[in-house]
Amino acid sequence: MSEYFRKYIKKEHYANHYSNLKFKTSFRNCILEAFKRRLWKETDGDDWDIMWAEKEWIHEVMDHTHLQSNQKINHFRNHYELTRKDLMIKNFKRYKKNLEREGKQEEANNYNFFPLTFHLPSEYPIFFEEFKRQTNNGDTKTAWIMKPIGKSQGKGIFIFNKIQQISQWKNTLRYNQDNPQAEAYIVQKYIADPLLIGGKKFDMRIYLLCTSYQPLTLYLYRTGFARFTHHRYDNEDISNTYVHLTNVAIQKTSDNYDEKLGGKWNLQTLKLYLMTKYGQEKVAETFYNIQMLMIRSLQAVQKIIINDKHCFELYGFDILLDAQLKPWLLEVNASPSMTSNTPVDFELKCGLLDDVFTIIDLEKVLTGNEEQIGGFDLICKGTPIKLPINSTFTTYLGAFNNRQQQLKKIAKSTAIRLAQTYQESQTKAIEVGSKGQKEKEEKDKQMRSSSKGPQVMQNGVNGSIKTNNQSKQNTIIKRNTTNLPTLGTVQNKNNVKRYPLQNAGQQSQQIQQSQSNSSKKNNPNEDSMLSANQKLQKLTQESKINQFQPYKQQSQYNDVMGMGSRNLQKNEE
Amino acid sequence: MQQLDNQEILMKLKSSKQFWDIKKKIKQGFSDQQKIGVNDIQKFAQSCEIEDQLIKLISHILKKSKKRETLKEDQIEFLNTSKIKWTELLFKNLDIVHQKTKNQEEDDTNTDSKLYIYDEKNLLAFLQTFKQQQSNNLYQNVQFQSNKILNINIPLKSSQSILDKYQYLLLQEELSDEKINKIRKQIENEHLDIELEKIAQTFVPNGERCLLYLKYFEFDHQDTVLQQHFVKLQKECLNQLFYDELLEIDGHEISEDTFYFVFQEQILTCLKCFIRDRTIKENIRIQLQSGIKKEHAEFQLPITGFFPFKNISKYVAPLCYLSTKIHIIYALFKEFFCRYFCFLHAISSESNSILSLCMQIEEIVSTRSPKLFHHLKVIGCDTLKLIIHQLVYCFIGDMDPPHILTIYDQIIGHDSLEILVILCVGFLNKYKSKLLLAKNQENVQQIFSELREDRFQELVQYAYKQ
Repeated sequence: MSEYFRKYIKKEHYANHYSNLKFKTSFRNCILEAFKRRLWKETDGDDWDIMWAEKEWIHEVMDHTHLQSNQKINHFRNHYELTRKDLMIKNFKRYKKNLEREGKQEEANNYNFFPLTFHLPSEYPIFFEEFKRQTNNGDTKTAWIMKPIGKSQGKGIFIFNKIQQISQWKNTLRYNQDNPQAEAYIVQKYIADPLLIGGKKFDMRIYLLCTSYQPLTLYLYRTGFARFTHHRYDNEDISNTYVHLTNVAIQKTSDNYDEKLGGKWNLQTLKLYLMTKYGQEKVAETFYNIQMLMIRSLQAVQKIIINDKHCFELYGFDILLDAQLKPWLLEVNASPSMTSNTPVDFELKCGLLDDVFTIIDLEKVLTGNEEQIGGFDLICKGTPIKLPINSTFTTYLGAFNNRQQQLKKIAKSTAIRLAQTYQESQTKAIEVGSKGQKEKEEKDKQMRSSSKGPQVMQNGVNGSIKTNNQSKQNTIIKRNTTNLPTLGTVQNKNNVKRYPLQNAGQQSQQIQQSQSNSSKKNNPNEDSMLSANQKLQKLTQESKINQFQPYKQQSQYNDVMGMGSRNLQKNEE
Repeated sequence: MQQLDNQEILMKLKSSKQFWDIKKKIKQGFSDQQKIGVNDIQKFAQSCEIEDQLIKLISHILKKSKKRETLKEDQIEFLNTSKIKWTELLFKNLDIVHQKTKNQEEDDTNTDSKLYIYDEKNLLAFLQTFKQQQSNNLYQNVQFQSNKILNINIPLKSSQSILDKYQYLLLQEELSDEKINKIRKQIENEHLDIELEKIAQTFVPNGERCLLYLKYFEFDHQDTVLQQHFVKLQKECLNQLFYDELLEIDGHEISEDTFYFVFQEQILTCLKCFIRDRTIKENIRIQLQSGIKKEHAEFQLPITGFFPFKNISKYVAPLCYLSTKIHIIYALFKEFFCRYFCFLHAISSESNSILSLCMQIEEIVSTRSPKLFHHLKVIGCDTLKLIIHQLVYCFIGDMDPPHILTIYDQIIGHDSLEILVILCVGFLNKYKSKLLLAKNQENVQQIFSELREDRFQELVQYAYKQ
């Protein structure tokens, strides 16, 4: 909903106006649509500000090109360290070993979210030993899954539980020994007791945005989805791929593929189901574990990935829950599918991309310290961000996606801040010019009061409040201005103390209960600007508080509630 | 359920919290004495009402264990004849449906996906015919004064008493984690219905709901029995019935609901088993259709004793949020249907029956919101027609599953469907202002076709709003 930014921020306050921005992409799906919705211009040349490239382009071109300082691109140079199945596992194993060596046994033990994996053909002997050991233990049922390295959408994957079943693969490999890469696989112990819903297997696709590896800066998107297989799960029948693989690309070819719903639940519906079945606490724990799993995955490769200020990357994590609700990482995608199979899906992806672009901040309007931007929540900046203890949430993953309201608020507060700094720079310029200060101010005032929004603030600064028929907006902004004059300027940053939560305190606790999804908790290290932002949030919330206070469970539902497709549609329309 | 012997009664007693409270009380009463005789205890018990409590407790256990007889005959003769008429009507519908399916087989191009024997509108329309019949006879004078669709002389609870009964829901407070955990433990340890009902009335924590339902229905140690029964039924499903086809068509509708499409297959399996289940006829609390046999008809009633109707799948769907085991889902559905939902399709004067519920809704709306009631009448869209869908299908599809399950809690908690009256009244009140602006039926339809989100607590609040 970048239109809020366009609506509230005046043209001259932009550091880099959106009409000057150019994008380049070869994609023709949601990506193109999201670019167009931001009113950026498409270009074929090299004068782009942002490029959404295919992975291959990075490998081929990036090393030989010099990027301008303002140019952004959607992959890191060696992202495959995380996104190629074999390298990912290798890096995880290595990182785990390092942790053990450093005596951080506890943290090392947390790296238990990937199944036992071997690289073939190089680790074939170890794998064979392991396989034999299991068979000798009388365990003939354990299935293994073979995945070709570097292929996607479920191509080439098969499951087996007898060693003969891969002999054919071995034979072809022998013939191809000149070209060993052609048939490199990983073999993984198959997770045989996945959580089934309606008798069907599913996995989750969750989006994580990394804007920097140094310091590690991660944003987690609240909405993802669960993809279901179309056939009942059957542990005995391992040959039917429809039963075992959830990839949309595979399920699409199934006979009874339902076009309308696309075999998907959004994450909120899934959370609702799990909460109803297993209770609030267990689900909160699971979702927190998922968030930590993602942070740990990136921490493991943090030192390996070549950090580059031109780069950002949107990862699609594929996560499976087993019957004990333990999350398992299946795969990380560097270019998650941005084609959509339903209208709801289309809006989800366009919204997601729009928020990515807002975070990338080509217009240079944000402070970089925002904790929530659209549907994205900052979960790691150098170190993982912890939510306050009294928070109802352990993670915002799967919580109500209030991106529209949030963007509106953030756009408003940004507009106020930009107007403020703009004014300050103007006054400074005038001070330098020593004379005519008053005139300039008068001019300024006139110019600003001609339009709504941030300009009203000036009244507050001057201590004269114009009676305006928009009295509500007026008071909100007036109250903010008491905090505002020092904000946004770097030298004052340390002088301004953030109000800790007690201040927003008791009354806002209620608000948080009913609308907790929309308010972010304080973080002492945060930029002072956010306190104004938060106050604004609080104030706008106050006017919206529901009259009745539903009982606990109900209010917890409310966070998740209605974000079934019904509300999603409502929000995004 | 068979008669219990003393041993079993004692076991049941021991599993209830109240029993231990009583025991504790007695112990405290005799703490200073060394020799205690049976007579002493008896005297003591009589003096502080413990005896009464014990008697109540035991009688409750016995009452619960007694098999509930299926209601076949209604006390009001007129309704008995109506039921026969209703059944005949359904047989006619069945013939039509059958004819249609035959035609479809011959002509693939003309597929009518809306095949069903009856839906909630048919049911209401049939109930409406009562008025005319009765007014012809006795109650002519009364009829002229009333605007209500249904005005039949059956014993009704006063609407005020229903409102009073559920008023406590307005005062629900947020429970602390500690309290919730306490309730969790209570559910695990409690076996007595009356206590379980109390929990269900106030608050059931997520994750414990399934256990509570199972305990309440006395299924808690019968997992294997339930499973065997279900497997047996599943085998029977191999023989195709005509009704299977209707159920499959019915399932398509549920597959369009985001919350339930995942469960479509499970729901269908449950229903197929349901219409083959012989035990339903003896367990169901009220007979839905008069079991007349048509000698020459091509089809008979299913073994259950009643026809499957449109949207029957809706009753199963929310239960899929309780367990991943299909035989548990089935057992819960069967019990819910036989105990409660059957009344929503029964032509009877029972206090739970659709007739009573409808009349109570009309009563409350016409007295508390006469303006709305009159307005709806004028624009030709009667109150009952507006909410019949929500009433008959228990708001399934209108609210999110957790809210539906809260309704189920209340049904169990009070062993009654009256909560639906409250919710329907709340539902109308919620959209009152919009409805008052509506000028015709199309306007009304438009109001409800918009995206909306109703919540349990919210509707209860609205119900009591003046």
